[in-house]
Amino acid sequence: MRLRLRLALTVVAVTVPVVVGMGYFQHSLRQRGQEEVLEASTLARMQAGERERCEASPETWTVRRGPPGQGALRESEPRERTTPEDESGPGRDSAPRERGLDGNGGPPPDRGPGRSGRLPPGVQHFPYDASFVSRNPRAPVLPEELVRGARAGQGTVILHSTQEGRPILDVLLRMPWDGGPCAYILARREEPPSPPLGGMPPLEVLAVPFFAVLAVVVALGPVIRRVRQLTDEVRTSAVSHYQQPVSVRGNDEVAELARAFQEARAEIQHQLSQQEAREQALRDFLANTMHDVMTPLTVLQGHLSAMQQRVGRGEPMEPAVMASAMGEAHYIASLVHNLAAATRLEAGEPQFQRAPVDLNAVVARVIGRHQPIARQRRISLVSGVPEAPVWVNGDVTLIEQAVSNVVFNGIHHGRDEGHVAVVLESTRQGRFRLRVIDDGPGIPEEERARILERGFRGNAARTRGVEGQGLGLHITRHVAHVHGWTLTLAPSEYGGLEVALEGEVS
Amino acid sequence: MGERILLVEDDPQLGAQIVEHLQGAGFEPTWWREGRVLTAEGLPRVSLVVLDLMLPGTYGLDMLKSLRSFSEVPVLILSARNDTLDKVRALKLGADDYMTKPFWPEELIERVRARLRRPTLQKAEAVVEVGALRIDPQAHEVSVQGQPVELTRVEFALLAALARRPREAVTRQWLVEHVLDPEREGTERTLDVHVSRLRRKLGPQHGVETVWGVGYRLVPGDGS
Repeated sequence: MRLRLRLALTVVAVTVPVVVGMGYFQHSLRQRGQEEVLEASTLARMQAGERERCEASPETWTVRRGPPGQGALRESEPRERTTPEDESGPGRDSAPRERGLDGNGGPPPDRGPGRSGRLPPGVQHFPYDASFVSRNPRAPVLPEELVRGARAGQGTVILHSTQEGRPILDVLLRMPWDGGPCAYILARREEPPSPPLGGMPPLEVLAVPFFAVLAVVVALGPVIRRVRQLTDEVRTSAVSHYQQPVSVRGNDEVAELARAFQEARAEIQHQLSQQEAREQALRDFLANTMHDVMTPLTVLQGHLSAMQQRVGRGEPMEPAVMASAMGEAHYIASLVHNLAAATRLEAGEPQFQRAPVDLNAVVARVIGRHQPIARQRRISLVSGVPEAPVWVNGDVTLIEQAVSNVVFNGIHHGRDEGHVAVVLESTRQGRFRLRVIDDGPGIPEEERARILERGFRGNAARTRGVEGQGLGLHITRHVAHVHGWTLTLAPSEYGGLEVALEGEVS
Repeated sequence: MGERILLVEDDPQLGAQIVEHLQGAGFEPTWWREGRVLTAEGLPRVSLVVLDLMLPGTYGLDMLKSLRSFSEVPVLILSARNDTLDKVRALKLGADDYMTKPFWPEELIERVRARLRRPTLQKAEAVVEVGALRIDPQAHEVSVQGQPVELTRVEFALLAALARRPREAVTRQWLVEHVLDPEREGTERTLDVHVSRLRRKLGPQHGVETVWGVGYRLVPGDGS
C-alpha cells in the first residue's frame, strides 16, 4: 500500500471514532442538560406557588407560563429547596439523576440560575398522588419504569421514549412534601422530531477527519518526493555497481536512511573490491602458472624423450640428463608452490592462517624435500636444530616455502660436491635465528640489496635468469615481512651466501 | 620381515609407486584404494598409516578422526593441496606428520623411517652406545670397545651432549654456550680444540663427525 494512502487511512481510522465519540458525548450532555433544566424548573415552579394551585384543582391544573413568582424568589429558592430535599429520605442518596440537587444544594453551575425558573417550551405538567394516580383526566398513565423508579425511592425518575415518532422526555419528580394529589409531578416534554442528521455531530466536527487527512497528504508530499528520489538514486547506484553515491540531505530519518545506504554501499564496495582482488589474483596465478610451468615442463619432456631414445637404441642412460630431468621436475614443484604462496600473499591478510609452527619440523621437512636433488648433485645438505622444538606463530605453509626457497637456491646455484647447511638456533631472549649457509658463488653486495628492495610484483622476479634468485627469495622476503621477521643476506664465512631469518618465538 | 604400513591412496599410479618404494625399502604395505570408515576391528595391524587427504568415499580427515578414537598408530598425511588449514586441522586431529605432493619417493621413505624411529628417544641419563663408543652419563664413564678412556670435564660434557642425540648435528654455538666453562672465555675456536683433543683420546673410531656449517654429531665410528 502506498505510504500516503496508508497514512490517510490511519488518520481516518483514528479520527472517525474520536469524532463519533465526541458527537455521542455532546448528545448525551445536551440530553442531560434538558433533563436537569426540566427537573429544576418544575421543582422551582412548584415551590413558587404552583403547589397551592395544583392542590386546589388537581383536575385542571397546569403551570402558568411566564416568569415565576417575585423577583426575590430566585435568591431564596435554592435555600428553600435544600431543606425539604435533605429530609426526604435516605433512598434519595442513591438516586441516579439527582446530581447537584443535594450536597451544597446550589444548582449545578452549567444550569445557570436563570434557567431554573424558566420553563422550556413544549412542556406539560401532570400531578399524581402518592399512589401514582392523577386526578387530571388528561394525564397519561405513568409508564411502568417511572413508577418502579419512584417506588424504589428515587426523587427524580427520567424516561426517554417515543410516541408516534416523536421523542418524549418524561421526568417524574417527587415533591418535597408528602401526600396530597400533587405528591408527584410528571413533567413531559415533547421534542420536535429530530432532523435527518439529528444524531450526527455538527459540521465543524465532521470536518476534522477531512482536514486531518488533507494535512497528512499535503505534509507527506515532500517526504514522499525525497523517499522516491532516494529510491531512484539507490537503483541507479546498484546499476553502477555501487560506484555512484546517493545524496544525503537534511538531518531527518530520510537522511538517516540515505546515510545508512551510503555506509552499506561502502561496505559492499569494499567486499566487491576484495572479491575482485581475489579473482584477479586467481587469474594472474593461472596465467603465471601456465607461463612459468610450461617452460621447465618442456625441458623435462625433452630430457625424457632423450632418455627414451637412448634406451630405444640400447645405449646406457646418461646420468647428467637424468639429473637434469629430476632437477626440472623439482623446479616445477617448487615453482607451483611459490605461485600458490604468491597468490595467497597478494590476496592479503584473510589468506593468512596463524597457528603454532614447529620450526624444527619445518627444517626437517625442507631438508627432506631437497635431499634427493642435493644427493644427486653430491651436495651435502645438513641441518642443526636445538633439541627442544622451536615454536613460532605463523602460517606453516608460507614459512616452509620461505625456508625451502632459500635452500632450493643454495642447491640450485651451488657447485657440485658443495655444501648447504640449515642452522636453527634459539636465543635466551626469546628469539630464533634460522640460517641457510652455502659455499656457492654467493651474490654480489649490490645485487643483494636489490633483491631485498625489488618490488614483489614484476616479471623480472619470476624469470630464472643468471641472477636467478627468482621468485623464491621474494616470497621469502614477503613471508618474513608478514610474520614481522627480519631477512638478511650476507656473505657466508665459507665464501657463499648466508641467508638469515630472525624473529620472535611464541 | 619389515614393518607393516597401511597406505590409503586413491590414485592408482601414485599408489602403485608408493607401494613399490615401500616394499623396496623393506616395508610391508597394505594398500586401500578408497577411504573407509575405520573401526578398531577394521584396522589391520600396522606400525604406521600413510593417509591421503583427498579420498573418494570418506574424507581423509574423518578417517583420521575416527582412527584416533581407538588407535595411537603414527599417521603420515599426504596432501596435494598445500593448504595451511588442512595441515593445522590434521595436526590437531592427531596426525604425526604431513607431506605435500609432489614429493620424491626417497623423501617419503625417509619420513616413514624417521616416524618409526621416533619412540626410541634417549633418556637424559641413559647409557648410550654408538658404534664402539659407550657413554654412561651418570657414572661419567666412557669406553671405546670396552676400554675406558679418561676425559676432562669439558671433553666428557661435549661427548655427552652429542650422545644425547646420536646422528643429529648439534650446533657449535649451542656447544659453546652449554659445554664450555662460562667462566673462561669460550669461543668456537676453543671448542674445536676440545673436539680435536677428544677425538685423539677416543682413537680412530671416535665417531665425532664435523658437520659442515653446523657443528658436530656423533655417528657410529668406523675408524675412517
